[in-house]
Amino acid sequence: MSIIGFAATFFDLLQNANSAVMATFVGPEEIRTNPNLMLWVLPLAASIAVVYKATKLTTVKASNFVKEAAILFGSIVVFTIIAAFVLHVLAWLITE
Amino acid sequence: MARISKTSRLPFILIVGLLAWLVPGAGHFVLKEKTRSIIIFVTIAVTFCVGIYIGSIGVIDPVGATPWYVAQIMNSPMVAALGYLTANGSYPVYGWPNEIGQIYTSTAGLLNLLCIVNAAYLAYMRGTETTGG
Repeated sequence: MSIIGFAATFFDLLQNANSAVMATFVGPEEIRTNPNLMLWVLPLAASIAVVYKATKLTTVKASNFVKEAAILFGSIVVFTIIAAFVLHVLAWLITE
Repeated sequence: MARISKTSRLPFILIVGLLAWLVPGAGHFVLKEKTRSIIIFVTIAVTFCVGIYIGSIGVIDPVGATPWYVAQIMNSPMVAALGYLTANGSYPVYGWPNEIGQIYTSTAGLLNLLCIVNAAYLAYMRGTETTGG
């Protein structure tokens, strides 16, 4: 295979890969209504904890940063569960 | 020690804030906070990309979801380019993908707003420290 042929094949592959990546961002994913839907809160809570601690800690050292972010992540998740439970009880009291 | 007036410090603070808006983490990078800037850039970029992966670029809707768009544009002015693409309704998205995508992209934007304010505050404090104030 000539260099030009190799380059053409390489660019074709690159274009196909690029199209595949772009396709994932122009069409929505299929998400069904089920209890697993609540798991989407976890990555969001993690990113909030990481960015907040990145701005608040005076010195960013790996061990300290991970510990602080993990504590904040845990707090967000626990309070979300408590809020969900309280709302569930309220909804139950109102509808029963 | 030489005193730097508030007015001479203002352009630097504005540039830091503007850079932090242009590219998440760039404000901290300019202030030589490289670790922070990398953490901020990666986290905000990943959160935003997850949002548009779930709901597609259709979740950026300057016409039908203006309040969400205000939060989304805090990620970077480049979001406006995506908003221009989606403004004519070419990328419709409904239901959970729309809601989860909007929540992710808007939260990423609001987190970047926090980083913009933090970078501007750090720039202000650096100025105060160099003047011995």
